Amino acid sequence: MVNVTMRAKGRRAYFQQGTVLKIVVLAILTALIVLPLIRTVVFTFQPETIGAWGDVLRGRLSKNLFYKPLGNTLLIGGIVSVGCVLLGGFLAWLVVMTNVPFRRTIGVMATLPFMIPSFAAALAWGSLFRNDRVGGQIGWIQGLGFDVPDWLAWGMVPTLIVLTLHYFSLAFTIIAAALATVNSDLVEAAQIAGAKGRRILMGIILPVTTPALVAAGSLCFAGAVSNFATPALLGLPVRMQTLSTRLFGMIEVGQVGRGYVIGILLVIISGAFLWAGNRFISGRRSYATITGKGGRAKRFDLRAARWPLFGVAMVFLLASTIVPMIVLFASSFAPSSAKLFSGWTAHYWVGTSDPSFAQGIPGIMHNSDIIRALTITLALGVCVALLGMIVGLLVSYTTARYREGWMSAAITQFSFLPLLVPGIAFGAAYIAYLGAPIGPFPALYGTFALLVIAGTAYLLPFSVQTGRAVIQQVSGELEESARITGAGFIRRLAAITVPLAIRGLTAGGILIFVKIVRDLSLVVLLFTPTMPVMSVLAYRYASEGFAQFANAITVVILVISIVATLLASRLQAKSQPWLKD
Amino acid sequence: MLEIKNLTKRFGDFEAVKDISLCVPDGAFLVLLGPSGCGKSTLLRVLAGLEHASEGQIIFDDQIVSDGQKNWSVDPAKRNSGLVFQSYALWPHMSVRGNVEWPLKVMNMPAAERKTRTDEVLNLLDIHALADRYPNEISGGQQQRVAIARTIAPKPGVLLFDEPLSNLDAKLRVEMRTELMRLHRTTGATTVYVTHDQIEAMTMATHVAVINEGRVQQFGAPSDLIDHPETAFVATFVGTPPNNIIPVTKSDEGYALAGHQMPVEPPSDDCLAMYRAETLKLVNTKSSRSLPMELVEVSAIAGRTMVTGLSDTLRLTAIVDRAENIRIGDTIQFELPKAPQCWFAHSGERIG
Repeated sequence: MVNVTMRAKGRRAYFQQGTVLKIVVLAILTALIVLPLIRTVVFTFQPETIGAWGDVLRGRLSKNLFYKPLGNTLLIGGIVSVGCVLLGGFLAWLVVMTNVPFRRTIGVMATLPFMIPSFAAALAWGSLFRNDRVGGQIGWIQGLGFDVPDWLAWGMVPTLIVLTLHYFSLAFTIIAAALATVNSDLVEAAQIAGAKGRRILMGIILPVTTPALVAAGSLCFAGAVSNFATPALLGLPVRMQTLSTRLFGMIEVGQVGRGYVIGILLVIISGAFLWAGNRFISGRRSYATITGKGGRAKRFDLRAARWPLFGVAMVFLLASTIVPMIVLFASSFAPSSAKLFSGWTAHYWVGTSDPSFAQGIPGIMHNSDIIRALTITLALGVCVALLGMIVGLLVSYTTARYREGWMSAAITQFSFLPLLVPGIAFGAAYIAYLGAPIGPFPALYGTFALLVIAGTAYLLPFSVQTGRAVIQQVSGELEESARITGAGFIRRLAAITVPLAIRGLTAGGILIFVKIVRDLSLVVLLFTPTMPVMSVLAYRYASEGFAQFANAITVVILVISIVATLLASRLQAKSQPWLKD
Repeated sequence: MLEIKNLTKRFGDFEAVKDISLCVPDGAFLVLLGPSGCGKSTLLRVLAGLEHASEGQIIFDDQIVSDGQKNWSVDPAKRNSGLVFQSYALWPHMSVRGNVEWPLKVMNMPAAERKTRTDEVLNLLDIHALADRYPNEISGGQQQRVAIARTIAPKPGVLLFDEPLSNLDAKLRVEMRTELMRLHRTTGATTVYVTHDQIEAMTMATHVAVINEGRVQQFGAPSDLIDHPETAFVATFVGTPPNNIIPVTKSDEGYALAGHQMPVEPPSDDCLAMYRAETLKLVNTKSSRSLPMELVEVSAIAGRTMVTGLSDTLRLTAIVDRAENIRIGDTIQFELPKAPQCWFAHSGERIG
């Protein structure tokens, strides 16, 4: 019998593999997401606010407070998510799987609507289609002498159109990423089995990408129902309320209890849809499609349909991106939106204060408020993007590698919770959570840190969504083989997982940067005069009637976002020689 | 020395590895041989430290590296072992040199020494010319060499291979087999090699453990498995061609093999008889020791002929010098020798 020793270099496994990591991640998510929400719920059950539940659900006002806005909200969510999956899926298919002309251009343009804040698209719609029903400036089309009907100028139809043209690019991003991982072997195996184009699409590609379609649909639904700016700008003037505008209105007039109750109900309703979607995805097997071996993609030949399909794609892309940008740009120079392209002046950009013009507001280059807001917004974007990527990567890594157990399920659920929460409610929850001192920590209201923490938490679902798709594809053995060399967790992330996943992570980082830079609903309540951000300034100018300033600021946001995206996509292409065509 | 004591690995309620005990000396080439799903890859992953043992111990060089009862496990990297994955698991974003060099970087080997060792290993595996290519730019056989180079670069004392040749074509497989044996002699590392291919096991191993349904069926030298199969599973899984196993039943007038009366004396009334392929003969007329079979396969092997016959579910293979004038589909007589080589109980263990 040999003399067997147990030396100190081994270690005892007190937990199953991954348990420590899961606990850390769960603690982070609880602090970032769960505690603020619990505080909100607790708030509505205080003795002085508990009556709000009755007012909203059964009271004399409940039809106007809750049920009519609920109907509008569900209509918007349903139609927008279906429209987004159809439009985004169509474009993703064109770009990834076919030989449509200018594939790359379509691919870039399909991601652009993300960079247009939905309030900007709504403002652009107003500049074009406003009629004289509610007074104030009329739009360009009315200015040309056409009569714009009310249904096209205000309310549900423009809201649906603007939101669909905004959120389809989210669907595009997710579906295109999934389609890109469909190994060409799968398609070729189907071709060898005798399947033709339609059969391959329905029998192979669609089932493999179903999780992505469901994810895209549920995210678009959640985005549309909690969107605040578009229904506020296009619906409120004709008294069309959604749950989020109702919530905003309640908090604005100081009925915080009723506002939170409406917010909680909105969370429950959209939560039911997302829960169903998430359950559908996580119940399926994962398809780890990137292995250590290379693969080459083959494209579907559209033949005669190439140019017609290109035309169809361009109609949507131009309407969602180029047209609003031109309108915003023109409107930032034009004294009247009825005459968008005449009498231009650069005053809104470079003018100094002039009492005879725009009530003495200087152009944005000379406006110290706006300059300060610009600096803060950029810093916020960078901080939230970095922090969001780090936390998102941790979360998605944990749930992808250690899928089993209630803790993984809880991590997944928690990380997607903010999707269910309208930005305004999330902002309000953060005021309740960090607005007052907690133990040794000071109150954070009005600080940059509050904006960063709230922004990171609020946008976590998007970083996790991207990270999860990416991490799952880096096959487990690639990471295990690094583990065997003795590389620690951080080193494996840095040398193996991150480089392989960098494309998705960069995409996630940009997504977060752009979303926070152009976000309105979250920051509209966290905004303080000492900590201004661009989007809230734009919204304030717009609601006070200074559309030109609002549009000029929006153009600045657009330029920042587009430059960031183009830079990142260049970096991506350069950093991955092993992915060359 | 590499020792495995009473090792069990459970996933939930499922026992993938059941109470396995093995011991091989330093420098041994141990092959874990078995059909797919038998638990051999799981055993290898426990050896590598990627999975924790549920029960039992693993001992490398007098040091316990896994202890199921105590939940004790040494990190994969600190076991002085290396694993070559079935999929190779080359890092696609690193060049060939990068793949080989990275584990050395993780070990904090000084740069100059690292470069020397990398060059040495690349030369050893004859892939120095590919050093700057990426994994998706080289062939499957070359990827295999890179995976091996990467694993042996840190000079592990125990080398683990998970079906490394299964993705290669037949000719390359034979070449790599030789290559691996040369490497084994060069490095002197104790090697554990998982495969379902018994030819690989027979040609490369110093020790073979035949595994089925999570249990070791037999552990010994390749020649032991051929000469003294301990279970019916080993008898049919190992050897080219495999041995013939014929069920024996007791009848009124004596014993019947596959339903035909035969003058045999089995140790038990209901058992299995094993006949080696080279002891079977083809005869033209029916005799007291012949079985009529439908001819389904004929192939030439090393100057002799391998003939396979089928009757219901019974499959018999004979190696004969000549097999002229017979065609696939003919009914032919397979004559058995006077006594079988050995007997197995129905449960599989050898009884005589």
